[in-house]
Amino acid sequence: MISGFAESVYKKYGRSVYELMEESFFKALDMAGLQRSDIQGFITTFMPGIFDDNVYMHFFPDQVCNYLGIHPKYIDSLDYGGPSVLAALYRAERLIKNGGIDNILLLFGGKGSLVREKKVTVDSFESLYENVTNTPYKSLFREYNYTNPLSDYALAAQRHKYMYKSTDEQRAILAVKQRKNANASGYSMFSGNLSADDVLNSSVISSPLHLLEIVYPVDGFHAFIVSKSAGKLRALKIQNYGEAHWTDIPPEQNDIILISASESSNKFRNEIKKCDFYELYDSFTITVMLQLENTGIVPKGKSGKFIENTSMSADGEFPLNTGGGSLNRGQPAYMSGSVLLYESLLQLNNMAKNQVKSANKVFINGIGGWSRNHSVSMIIGE
Amino acid sequence: MDLKEIYQVYKEKFNDKKLPYIECNNCKYNFYYPRNICPKCGSHDIKINESNGNGTIYSYTVMNKSIWAIVSLNEGFKMYMDIYGNNPEINKKIKIIFKDSQLPCGEII
Ligand SMILES: [Zn+2]
Repeated sequence: MISGFAESVYKKYGRSVYELMEESFFKALDMAGLQRSDIQGFITTFMPGIFDDNVYMHFFPDQVCNYLGIHPKYIDSLDYGGPSVLAALYRAERLIKNGGIDNILLLFGGKGSLVREKKVTVDSFESLYENVTNTPYKSLFREYNYTNPLSDYALAAQRHKYMYKSTDEQRAILAVKQRKNANASGYSMFSGNLSADDVLNSSVISSPLHLLEIVYPVDGFHAFIVSKSAGKLRALKIQNYGEAHWTDIPPEQNDIILISASESSNKFRNEIKKCDFYELYDSFTITVMLQLENTGIVPKGKSGKFIENTSMSADGEFPLNTGGGSLNRGQPAYMSGSVLLYESLLQLNNMAKNQVKSANKVFINGIGGWSRNHSVSMIIGE
Repeated sequence: MDLKEIYQVYKEKFNDKKLPYIECNNCKYNFYYPRNICPKCGSHDIKINESNGNGTIYSYTVMNKSIWAIVSLNEGFKMYMDIYGNNPEINKKIKIIFKDSQLPCGEII
């Protein structure tokens, strides 16, 4: 159960990454009505550059605990990129169920602005350093791989267009529908009117993807406190769960638009369709489309038509990314998983401004890692 | 064959403007990205072949006027590469060429 949750998100945060994480941690503690000394477990993640520009930090989770003044009995770091926080929630629930630990802090985020300003991504941070390699294949990649994950998703979008005749306009409509939710959410970084033409007229960054269908990396942390008791909040828990890790690199996959989400969701497809709202990873518009198809919500190749014909607002037939998603919230430290979980908890606790009526069950899907290798699917309810 | 030897042979092939790839003698799987163990069957019994350099575009993206693609070679393996030429399309035929980069590229034919 989650007893406290908080976010601290800025376009550019002027102070250190430690001060930023501390801010979200103390807000979450406050909601949970707990003290630092009550935290007995700690789970986080690291990505190149997001911790004040460091490529890596030695014994990093331990050092964060030291800084925050917490003394956990259990420490872990998960390295799945965007969905890491979702996998951490599952592990935290199990640890608490096993006994001996009552409160676990999940702390995910960092400073995306420092990486952004160097005109690289966490995937290509190694390009700044001659002797640093993030992949065994660096010598064969270095000429053309420095635009991941953008180019990687562009290849998937292009293939999707070819296979299923999906269109640029369909992806643009998704961005427009998410923006409408963002405008209603009251806490979006990017807001205001957006038309499909605005999206289609924005620069093509990596064809077929336009600027306005790509997340903007920002500074931010989310803190979630997983506890034996939900405290003041609703007693929510994971009802269905799956994760999948497909380790093949895209050129060695048979089909780049058949993704790991098809496996992580396959044990509870019927339950997914019965949820009250949906939070799907939205690093790019195509990411959402691939999840709609690969989790069985719509048949293969039909996500474009589905987006055109379906209302995705809070009172619509398929409430999707009800806070506007990370396309509008900004993507804290190149990871959108926390944005999805945070909005889900607002909704399920009846705390959202763009509130779904009787929001009792959410389907969340996170995608991440190098290309689309890691997927975490879950339903949360009471 | 150890990994260092594989990279050495790859480098020599690139210098000769040839595209190398690895064939597993046990299960016949062909792959490009260097490993001394077959990713399919786990055999260490592998050899390096030369591709005939013909393939098709599996998917592509245009970024800053450059074309980047996953190419499917006729020998059945896929790899990333830069593409030269105009009007890229999925399934268009390419031929392997070598530019200044020392790494294999594709040219639309
Ligand atoms: Zn083999």
